[in-house]
Amino acid sequence: MNFPLATSITHRWESFRQRPFARLVRLFAARIFHGGGDDDSEGLDLSIGLVLTLLALPGGFVSVLLFEKYGSLLQWMRGVADFNPLAAALPDEYFFMVLSMVVTGAVAVWRWDSIFPDRRDYFNLVPLPIPTRSIFFANLIAMLYLVALLAIDVNAASSVLFPLVVCASQEHIAFFVRFAAVHATCVLTASIFTFFAVFSLLGFSMAVLPNSVFKTLSPYLRALLVIFFVALLCTSFALPNFLQRLPATPPWWTRLLPSTWFLGLGQVLRGEASPALAALGAFALPALASVIVIASGVYGLSYRRYFTRVPEMTEIAASRGSSRQSFFVSLFDRVVLRTPMQRGCFHFVWKTLLRSESHRLILSAVAGLGLVLACQALMSAFASHSAAAKVAVSADALSVPFILAFCIIVGLRLGFEMPVEMRSNWIFRLLLDEENHECEAMACRVMLVSILPWVFLVVLPVYAYAGGFLPGILHAALVAAWSVLLINAILLRFRKLPFTCSFPPFRQHSIVTLLAGVMAFFLFAVVTPEIESSALANPIWMAVFIPIAAVAWYIPHRIRRETMDHERILIFEEAPTRAVEVLQLGD
Amino acid sequence: MLEALHLTKRYASLPAAQDVCFTLRPGQVLGCLGPNGSGKSTTVKMLTGLLEPTRGEVLFNGQNIRDNLSAYRKRLGYVPEEAHLYPYLTGWEYLELIGTLRGMPRPELENKIDSLLSLFSLQAHRHAGVGSYSKGMRQRILLIAALMDNPDIFIFDEPLSGLDVTSALIFKNLVQVLGQQGKLVFYCSHVLEVVEKVCSDVLILRKGVVIAQDSVANIGQILGQSLENTFLHLVDDVDTVSVARDIQSVISAA
Repeated sequence: MNFPLATSITHRWESFRQRPFARLVRLFAARIFHGGGDDDSEGLDLSIGLVLTLLALPGGFVSVLLFEKYGSLLQWMRGVADFNPLAAALPDEYFFMVLSMVVTGAVAVWRWDSIFPDRRDYFNLVPLPIPTRSIFFANLIAMLYLVALLAIDVNAASSVLFPLVVCASQEHIAFFVRFAAVHATCVLTASIFTFFAVFSLLGFSMAVLPNSVFKTLSPYLRALLVIFFVALLCTSFALPNFLQRLPATPPWWTRLLPSTWFLGLGQVLRGEASPALAALGAFALPALASVIVIASGVYGLSYRRYFTRVPEMTEIAASRGSSRQSFFVSLFDRVVLRTPMQRGCFHFVWKTLLRSESHRLILSAVAGLGLVLACQALMSAFASHSAAAKVAVSADALSVPFILAFCIIVGLRLGFEMPVEMRSNWIFRLLLDEENHECEAMACRVMLVSILPWVFLVVLPVYAYAGGFLPGILHAALVAAWSVLLINAILLRFRKLPFTCSFPPFRQHSIVTLLAGVMAFFLFAVVTPEIESSALANPIWMAVFIPIAAVAWYIPHRIRRETMDHERILIFEEAPTRAVEVLQLGD
Repeated sequence: MLEALHLTKRYASLPAAQDVCFTLRPGQVLGCLGPNGSGKSTTVKMLTGLLEPTRGEVLFNGQNIRDNLSAYRKRLGYVPEEAHLYPYLTGWEYLELIGTLRGMPRPELENKIDSLLSLFSLQAHRHAGVGSYSKGMRQRILLIAALMDNPDIFIFDEPLSGLDVTSALIFKNLVQVLGQQGKLVFYCSHVLEVVEKVCSDVLILRKGVVIAQDSVANIGQILGQSLENTFLHLVDDVDTVSVARDIQSVISAA
């Protein structure tokens, strides 16, 4: 069958796609997805389809989990006769608003370096017979395409599934349509707002600061944004209850939370808004319009300041540094790092953690999570006790350093698995001994260096001052000992130099590992402080931790001893699990 | 002495190098030539121990290098074909990392890095990130990294790639000096003039097989031609002049 109209449209579309401007738009869109940057960085390059699927998953997954809450049969079994789905949906709507903002914001932060045309684009495209305004508009259109795609993708599943779940017990389709339309409008505008807000903030810094200053500040700014998003997500479960009880004039700080504006907007559109939420909702649309206007201005300004001046910028940024090792580093190297491998790799690992963009973002996210949990614990401690001495030895307050230590150790362990510039690892392949590689000892030292200094320099004096000298010493010692045991367990069978090995494939036991991590957090940061709080009343009871520590040390030690030689060899590539293992009995 | 004995490497069932044999003696500078896909890089990777041969072995002073790779690599300086470096490390830090991993004593390491950076005209940029370096500057960092521990064996894979004229001239002279000092130098390149000038012997690979191996002078004498013509004669049956004319006619066609 021949459809002349369809054929004509296809032809026109194809010829449009091949026009220089359309080709430029496709080039920039692909660059934003696959990454740009001035160096030939080789990060986690996932296919577009996989990225979009991963971004869409959380919304769909959470919606499905809510079936239990809104199911009419379950409501009937619980004896709830007058169930109001709109009132019950408010906390969940807030969560979806936050989820939409966090995912979009995280993508904007993650992909910031690829959003603007860079040096490589300049030297590849500007010599071609294309007006620079074509580059400007093509990149702008690619960026807008990304925003639209991202907003739709992140919210698509929740925009359909969540209204279905909420309205499952309703008889009228109009109720569903109205609910779904309002929900979709709010989450989409929240997504778009977040993208342009992140863009405006970073773009403004780029436009007003000198290039070298911006390059130094940008990672810290992005780390702060990541921490803000983590905090927003962590508080999304507690805040709705608070919002429902707000007075007519909401406190000033609630106006600083954009997520509340879009929740308010949704309630206003439904005609269900309390005075406080209506007041907050009034900010949503003006704020959205403002960030779009600011982002447009910032885009033009940054393009003019950055892209058109690429050839004027010196390729090599002037930098200061010392060619001599300081006395303390030299002493540390002599005392703590005993072999050339440990010395070389230890400093390599620290420099990578502090300078690699992806690692800084991951560590910021984990640190943000740790800070939020620690703050919650501290607030809970102050809410339960009034005297400083009692606060200091309460389980909540004692859990603060445990939470932080756990997050740092787990964050570092996760970071070690993320490769950096895989093509550059040839130097380690060439120089490291595969059988006597000391990677575990070196990774252990990196973790200890990131824990022990603040345990003894901050935790010890603070708790000694607030709770007494002996409790302070015992608490610092326990945090240090528990951290050592956790590091000992978490580095079991670690046989790679951090950042030089390919990503580990998903294995069947990965979910078990995740559950074990949650259990470990519970034991490490919840159960231990509870026991410690009781034991500190009579410090001799602290001895109860000795047999626990002995068991926690012995199990990894035993597993390590039984590890076969071929499982200890240094690896640079994670092999997928084979369906059939060849025993090689003849060797 | 470095000996490659029947080196064979297959990827799946495809042979990348087949039965490659040669001997590299102290003071000898052995050039390795071959068109793209001839097995040069595979051979280099087997010589450095980065790739395990499917068959055959590499002996250094009579001992299989795989018996004690660490000891062998301590005596090896290698410049890979592509300058993949960690972009967030500065030039100085990268060299310090290499020197530390090689177990060089600290004062000697710092002095050598500073001196070599000066000699390779990189002193002014020593604290700038390698990511901002030009290709030639990255290549110079790789050369310093290979040289600074004074190894006995040098394996250079396209070492002049991206170097400016002065640095290239310095390096060519350096290779000759290294040969005179009794070092073993294996030199892979596409640039025939450089191989002709720098190397004492030459090994020509085609489709993973050694098709000629002799001193540069002998190879030329046998065929009565320059190394360039000998190479073309042995490796490719291509009339380069006529291909160049064909290209020109395609460009100028309406």
